[in-house]
Amino acid sequence: MKQVEIRLNIGAVAPLLDVIKQAADDLRTTLAIRARFPEEDADFNETWTQELMAGQNSDVRELLGLFDSEFFTDGAIAITGENCDSLLRACAALRLRIHERWLREVPVDIVEDPDAEITAVAEVARLPFAAYTFLDQIQKIILEHLSPAGTE
Amino acid sequence: MIVAVESTPRRRPASVTVPQTQPAEVWRLLVLDDLNRMSYAVMVLRRVLGLDEMRARRHVMEIHEAGRSVVWMGNREQAEAYMFALHQWHLTAIIQPQEAA
Repeated sequence: MKQVEIRLNIGAVAPLLDVIKQAADDLRTTLAIRARFPEEDADFNETWTQELMAGQNSDVRELLGLFDSEFFTDGAIAITGENCDSLLRACAALRLRIHERWLREVPVDIVEDPDAEITAVAEVARLPFAAYTFLDQIQKIILEHLSPAGTE
Repeated sequence: MIVAVESTPRRRPASVTVPQTQPAEVWRLLVLDDLNRMSYAVMVLRRVLGLDEMRARRHVMEIHEAGRSVVWMGNREQAEAYMFALHQWHLTAIIQPQEAA
């Protein structure tokens, strides 16, 4: 099985995890994107929401699980064909939440620029911006190396 | 060494009953602009809708430039199923009857 191992600087990543965990806490009770229901039926919408919430929480748990005690020993995370879908979705959900909570005042051209300097962002938003960029890089690595484009 | 990734398809809630609509009614599935990485959005459209790379890229460019793109048209039930799948991947999608276009 294809596996990508990423070695990270523990000291640099640890503060980002604080932001990511706060965003993860938010996502335990709310969806990353606002649900736009196709029905006006309350039962339908509740079922729809609960299904999405369950998937979202499962995905975020998978990502947080990468940063366990073992990570703080060797600084390595392993991404495989088995967990890459969950991790891609978790990164997407967390990035959207980090943006909504901390980065709404940052100009969109900076937010969308993967090479933007962190100094382009107000000091108060730098840590969330670094976490946002970190998750983007994880997505990029998965997309480039695990090629998960098979049709569902 | 790359293996095909078999995701676990998540379907719409089993207990949901979709109201019947006119058989000839055509619904549009639109994806709206958001902050997802473009290569991620391309991958999701390929995975969920079975689009080829070039077509998925065209849609994502249209989403980025115009704010939205009609990515699929067909019956309501399938449109809802696709919308649900896109929500699972955190892409903002809506459906509309064709006459609302």
